[in-house]
Amino acid sequence: MAPKKKEEPKPAPAAPKPPEPERPKTPEFDPASVTLEFTPDQIEDFKDAFQLFDRTPTNEMKITYAQCGDLIRALGQNPTNAEIMHVLGKPTAEDMQSKMLDFDQFLPMHQHICKAKDRGTFEDFVEGLRVFDKEGNGTVMGAELRHVLATLGEKMKEDEVEQLMQNQEDANGCINYEAFVKYIMAS
Amino acid sequence: MGCGVTKSDQFHKHPSKAVTSIKAAILIQRWYRQYVARTEMRRRYTWHIFQSIEYSGEQAQIKLYNFLGYLMDNFTPSSSERNLISHIFRENEVCRDAEWERYFCYKNIEVPDIYSGPHLTFPLSVEQAVGLVQAFRDKKQLHSRYVLQLLLETWKLLRMLPNINRISTCHSKEITICGDLHGQLEDLLLIFYKNGMPSLDKSYVFNGDFVDRGKDSIEILLILFAFLLVYPSDVHMNRGNHEDHIVNLRYGFTKEVLTKYKMHGKRILKLLQKIFSWLPLATVIDQKVLVLHGGISDSTDLSLLARLDRHNYVSALRPPKRRNTSSAGISIDSDIDEDWSNHKVFQRRASFTFPKPLGTRSSFQNRSLQDFSDRIKVNVEEELETCRRRSYTFNAGINRVEKEMAPCPSTDSVNSDNAKEEWKQVLDLLWSDPMTQDGCVPNEVRGGGCYWGPDITDDFLNRHNLQLIIRSHECKQDGYEFCHNRKVLTLFSASNYYDVGSNRGAYVKLGPDLVPYVVQYQASSMTRELTVRQSVGRTERSALKVLREQLFAHKSDLISAFKTFDSENTGLVSLTDWASVVESVMHLGLPWRMLRFQLVTCKTSDGMIDYNEWFNELAIKAPNTDNIEQGLLETLYRHRSTVETIFRIVDTDNSGFITIEDFRQTWKLLSIYLKMEFTDEAISDLAVTIDVNQDGNIDIDEFMEAFRLTDKKSRLERGRSMFMGTATDLTKLEGDPDI
Repeated sequence: MAPKKKEEPKPAPAAPKPPEPERPKTPEFDPASVTLEFTPDQIEDFKDAFQLFDRTPTNEMKITYAQCGDLIRALGQNPTNAEIMHVLGKPTAEDMQSKMLDFDQFLPMHQHICKAKDRGTFEDFVEGLRVFDKEGNGTVMGAELRHVLATLGEKMKEDEVEQLMQNQEDANGCINYEAFVKYIMAS
Repeated sequence: MGCGVTKSDQFHKHPSKAVTSIKAAILIQRWYRQYVARTEMRRRYTWHIFQSIEYSGEQAQIKLYNFLGYLMDNFTPSSSERNLISHIFRENEVCRDAEWERYFCYKNIEVPDIYSGPHLTFPLSVEQAVGLVQAFRDKKQLHSRYVLQLLLETWKLLRMLPNINRISTCHSKEITICGDLHGQLEDLLLIFYKNGMPSLDKSYVFNGDFVDRGKDSIEILLILFAFLLVYPSDVHMNRGNHEDHIVNLRYGFTKEVLTKYKMHGKRILKLLQKIFSWLPLATVIDQKVLVLHGGISDSTDLSLLARLDRHNYVSALRPPKRRNTSSAGISIDSDIDEDWSNHKVFQRRASFTFPKPLGTRSSFQNRSLQDFSDRIKVNVEEELETCRRRSYTFNAGINRVEKEMAPCPSTDSVNSDNAKEEWKQVLDLLWSDPMTQDGCVPNEVRGGGCYWGPDITDDFLNRHNLQLIIRSHECKQDGYEFCHNRKVLTLFSASNYYDVGSNRGAYVKLGPDLVPYVVQYQASSMTRELTVRQSVGRTERSALKVLREQLFAHKSDLISAFKTFDSENTGLVSLTDWASVVESVMHLGLPWRMLRFQLVTCKTSDGMIDYNEWFNELAIKAPNTDNIEQGLLETLYRHRSTVETIFRIVDTDNSGFITIEDFRQTWKLLSIYLKMEFTDEAISDLAVTIDVNQDGNIDIDEFMEAFRLTDKKSRLERGRSMFMGTATDLTKLEGDPDI
């Protein structure tokens, strides 16, 4: 059986793990449909972070589309790239660099991501990594993990993989994946 | 269900495993991306912390100058208070060149047999210069005899150079340009290692700020000067704002020299003072690329800069000297202190107090510095009024006391206008920073020079037929940064400047095509061993520690501000109120809410903050301070860097000691200016506590040490925080075992 070389044309449910209820097969993200449930305190927190990302010369409280994902992540969520693109309205590469959004536009996007269920627990992680544990001894080969991260899913670049795995492998090139997961989740 | 893309057989045979693998991969990737974003955010606000405190420290330097000016204004010339400080505004000796040569003579200095460092013979050869680099790499120290000799030769050479060096590239020669080094020898060695040492084929331009903050400033200078002597056409040095003896008092170079050269340090410093004033101001490459330390303003005029007498500008904090002729017709250097009375107050004020347009970067104003200088008013009218009032009262006072002084002839006012204009040109060149908006506004963050915009750059480049400005002066995370449509390049060569892992350094190579080619690096073997996460974490911890100290130093102001939000005196405030109070007092423009988790641990269950408890958390303990008045202690802590600078100024012979009497007087002056009431008794207690051996002299270092008010254990953390600000500039040197 010849392996087909493709990546994302999986049915939507399989790729990003939780399908959100508001997201049918051909979704357009509609900010107006999102009810904001944040507390005023939370909103103030988000403003702080938003300001930190604001690079406009006159502090207009605007960030680029490209920064949106980083900001959401910095605030503690861990969406996939696909989810980010979705809330941004599937922008082009050019849009990502040039289009801006202000705080009010950002909030519903963030809310949407926050509402997504099933962000991945420690156990999910460990289960996932166990797939690569050939010997069933609690370790995976660093090389294999690198390969997987760089070729599957929302692929990582080589230097990103390097940074993630820095100092994680033991002398035999193995990684204790429970410890690894704890490490990643502890940031 | 389709297959995954890996080559692994596993996935062929087990499609469900493929799905799981992909899920696993995506999970990890998601978490990783979150981790990167959070790390980046931490790095960003850590940077922000360091930078805002650094700049407010620099601002404090200028405020110090104004404090000294206040003393000059308000005490009659004969009073002891004024005499205490006045020497900083005048040279005690009025000397001829011949007398200077005698003072700097090294010939009587003997080099003992046990000396294991390099011996220099002049004229210097390239082998000796290379040997010097090696010796410093081996942690040797050059003997003071050779230091003086080398400096004298350098002085002679520099005097022959023009204000603006004009050099060219050619096919066999690329020019390498380096930015701020700030005493970080490791970075210079790294540059030489990667790029090669200066030679006939390898020209270098060093763009200022060679000294201060790092611990090997003198070694860097000696290396650069040695190569300058060996290859005068291929090594070029531009002056930076830290090539300034008063700035050095505060930022560590003076102390470094006095510590390393206990016997001859003072002479070395004096000679360096002259050398700094003789350093060229800028370099132009192929008539197209301008290299200077700070930047430009809307009035920068290269032909004026080329013409002026650059050595008149000894320090940014001293007005220009003027050449007088003595009765014997021999020209001598003297300060125009004698003419001070009539109009220099006004002139001096004018050189530092620009009218402030609306929309200043108020986020950098540090309120505590307003203690020193509530005279620096926020708007133009008040400013001018103050100047008018001041010069009026001063002149009135002077007229009373110094009637015998001859009035200045009218030509002097012309000279003084020129001097003023030239002064501003040099100041702008050494202290300015680029900004993103158009226009040109005074740089209150630094306290000197201006912020200039892209339109100013365009105009300037067109007027002078140039295509690029290369400058330094600002630390950049990647070691360099383009701005103004790639017409301005900032270059910073001191890596790990704020702390280990904080930033890279960079240098630039320029060939005949004049396209800048940037090379980045990061010194210190320690960095390589740290993961990104660890080095961000470490820098972050440093920054937070400094921030906590700053917060503690403002305890009284913060508590009174909290009380205004706590009308029922519960001792609690909400998070929102906490954040706004802290910003309103500290004026650092930081994301306080985001930082709260690291700054505040005492919260009640409903999220309110117990501010009294918070200060207990932050509290800094110092030995032997129980008998010292709390307010005095806080003032001392808040202004410690300035206090130390003042003491070093008062210590006229750079001995490291001041008398108890001078100490008392200095405190009295400070307390008047700060409008704080310190009783004589409180000051006496302070003095007695630190005059440990009861000999009537206070060791400045011991004094600062006794009141450093930091946890001893955190000082020992590596010991080499490069952070330079109002709080930890002392810890930087103290922790280093080599000093």
